[in-house]
Amino acid sequence: MKKSPLALLVALGLLHAPLSAFAATAPLDLVGPISDYKIYVTEQLDGFASHTQQFTDAVKKGDLATAQKLYAPTRVYYESIEPIAELFSDLDASIDSRVNDHEKGVKAEDFTGFHRIEYSLFSEKTTEGLGDLADGLNNNVKDLQTRVAGLTFPPEKVVGGAATLLEEVAATKISGEEDRYSHTDLYDFQGNIDGAKKIVDLFRPQLEKQDKAFVAKVDKNFASVNTILAKYKTAGGGFETYDKVKENDRKALVGPVNTLAEDLSTLRGKLGLN
Amino acid sequence: MNDLDQINAQRRRVLLGMGAAGVALAGSTLSCPAMAASPAQVTEAPNSDKTQDRHDFHGQHQTGIVTPRPACGMLVSFDVLATDREDLERLFRTLNQRIAFLMTGGPVAQVDPKFPPMDSGILGPVVTPDNLTITVSVGESLFDERFGLASAKPKRLIRMVGFPNDALQPELCHGDLSLQFCANTADTNIHALRDIVKNLPDLLLVRWKQEGSVPPQAPAKPGTPAQSARNFLGFRDGSANPDSNDKKAMEQIVWVQPGSDEPAWAANGSYQAVRIIRNLVERWDRTPLQEQESILGRVKSTGAPIGGSHESQVPDYAKDPHGKLTKMDAHIRLANPRTAATQANLILRRPFNYSNGVSKNGQLEMGLLFICYQADLHNGFITVQTRLNGEPLEEYLKPIGGGYFFTLPGVIGDKDFIGRSLLDATQPKTTA
Repeated sequence: MKKSPLALLVALGLLHAPLSAFAATAPLDLVGPISDYKIYVTEQLDGFASHTQQFTDAVKKGDLATAQKLYAPTRVYYESIEPIAELFSDLDASIDSRVNDHEKGVKAEDFTGFHRIEYSLFSEKTTEGLGDLADGLNNNVKDLQTRVAGLTFPPEKVVGGAATLLEEVAATKISGEEDRYSHTDLYDFQGNIDGAKKIVDLFRPQLEKQDKAFVAKVDKNFASVNTILAKYKTAGGGFETYDKVKENDRKALVGPVNTLAEDLSTLRGKLGLN
Repeated sequence: MNDLDQINAQRRRVLLGMGAAGVALAGSTLSCPAMAASPAQVTEAPNSDKTQDRHDFHGQHQTGIVTPRPACGMLVSFDVLATDREDLERLFRTLNQRIAFLMTGGPVAQVDPKFPPMDSGILGPVVTPDNLTITVSVGESLFDERFGLASAKPKRLIRMVGFPNDALQPELCHGDLSLQFCANTADTNIHALRDIVKNLPDLLLVRWKQEGSVPPQAPAKPGTPAQSARNFLGFRDGSANPDSNDKKAMEQIVWVQPGSDEPAWAANGSYQAVRIIRNLVERWDRTPLQEQESILGRVKSTGAPIGGSHESQVPDYAKDPHGKLTKMDAHIRLANPRTAATQANLILRRPFNYSNGVSKNGQLEMGLLFICYQADLHNGFITVQTRLNGEPLEEYLKPIGGGYFFTLPGVIGDKDFIGRSLLDATQPKTTA
C-alpha cells in the first residue's frame, strides 16, 4: 500500500466529509491506519458474504450437517468487525440479535438472523421452515457490505472499536451465552479478540510513541488470552464447544479480558480523539 | 432538618468548595418549604447530615465488626485471579490503598475528558465517606497451592459445609476473598464496590454479591435502652448480641487473641460466617401470631422474651426447665441457652435484611444476609447452627448461600497494608 494517504481516502470513500472536518478529528498520522482498517473490514466482509452464501445455501438445501458445520466459521468474520457492523443497528439486530433480546423469545417475529437459525439447527436439529430466514440473512449481509463500502469510517469508532470488542467478550463470551444452542462461542471469542488486536496493531506506532509499557501490557494480555484459546483448537482449525472449557481456564480468561477492556478503553484518549 | 442543621449543611457545602452556586443553593433552602415560596424539586437529593461520618481505616482491628451497624450493608465474595505471590501482594496493596481512600473521602483525580474518568462519579467529584467501612476477609480456598499460604491457614477455617436444612446454590457460595461494605446509604457501598472492581480488573472476579439494609428508627428516649432492628420476619433481631463497646467481651468473643492456638499472624483477626437465609415470608405471614412468637421465643411487638416486657430482659431458663414459657426448641433458646457452658458459643451478629425480586412461583425472594464474627468458628457459628438444626423455624427458612472467611487483622499505620501479616508469615522477607 504505497498510495498517498489522500488518494487512498478518496478511493476508500473516506472523504464523504469535507477534508477540514475530517482532519479536525483525525490527525494525519491516523489516516493511514484508518484506511488500512477499512481494507481489513472490507476483506472480512467479503469473506463473510461468501461464507454466508454457502451457509444459507446449505440451510435451504436441507443439508443439516453442512449447515451446522458452516455456522460457526461464518460468524467469525462478523465478530471480528462488530464495531463497524454495529454502526448499522437495524442490520445488527436482524443479523446477530440473541434470543434474550426478544421478549417473545424464539417465537418473536423480529428474531431473525444467525441465532434464530442456530436455534433450529442445533436445538431442533432441523432446517425445516428456515428458507425465508436464510434468504433474509443473505440479503442483510449483502446490504451490510454495500453500506460499509459507502461509509466514512469515523476515527473514534475505529479506535474505540478495540474496546467495544472486548466489552462484547466480557459481557457475553465468558459466560458462554452468545451461542447458547451450538456452544461454538470460542469461534466468536477468537473473532472478537482478533478484531481488537488488529486495531491495536494498526495504531501500534502511534501508541508506542506515547506509551511503550502500555503496548507491552496489552500485548501480554492478548497473548494470555490467545494461549488459552489455542488449547481448545481442533485439528480442522475450529474450536471445541464451550462446555469443554475448564473452569480454571474460564477464570484465567477473565483477568486478561477485563484488563484489556480497561486498557483499550483508553485508546481514544491516548490518540487524542474526541 | 432544623435551622441549625441547615446552617451546618450550608457551611459544609462551602467547606467542600462547591463555590458560589452551591452557596446560593444552600441559601435558598434556608426558607421553610412550608412557606411555599421556595421552589422545590421532587428530585432534590434527600438530606443527610451524616455524609461526612468517617471511621479510621487504621487500627489493631479492622472496622465494620464492632463498629455500630449503619443502615446499608453488602457482602461481596470474589475469586482471586492472581497467579503468584507477587500479584497477591499487589492485590492486597491496591485494596489497602482504595479502602483507605474510600473510607476517608476526598476529591477524585480528574483526567483529560478524552479518557474514561477514574471514578464512577456516583458520589460526585468529592467522595463522601458516609460512614463507610470495608472489611477484608479471606476464604479457605486462598490457602490452596497457588500462593504457598497453606502453612499459615487459620486452624478453624474450612470451606462451609451445608447444614441439613440448607439448599445451597453453588453460585452463591464460598470464595477466595470477601469484602463487607457498610455505609449509611446503598449508593456509597455501590460506589466503593465499583471503584474496587475498576481498579483490580486482573486480580479480582466477583463471584457473588448480596446487598441488604436495616430500617433506621428514632433514637431511644433518654434513659431507655436502644432497641434492635427488625428482620423480615417482623421480629427484633440481635437482642442477645454481646455489647460491642465491652472491650473485654469482644476480646473473648470476637478477636483472635495473641498467644492462642491460631497462627501468630492471625491475632486480632476474626472468623466471619456469612449466610444468605431466604425467609418464606408468605407462609410466615399466614402463621398465627402466638405460633410465630413461640417459634422464636420472643414477643413480636416488644422483642421481649416470652413473659417479659422489654427487649433487654434476659430469659431465665432455669425457672422454665420444661419449656412451659419458652419452648425448649424455640429459636432463641437453642441459639443461646444462657448456660455457663454455652458462653463459649457467643457470636457477634451483624445481619442485614435483603430483598431480591420474586421466585418463579411469584413468591418474594427475601430474607436475611446473616453475618457474624467470632474468635472461634467451631465454638461460635458452627456450634450455634448445629444446635439450631431441626428447629421449628426451619419450616420458614432456606439458607441458599454464604461462606466462611477469616477477617484479616487491622492495618497499623501507613507503612502497613492489609494482608501483610499473612504474607510475612509465609515469606519472612516481605516487608511493608
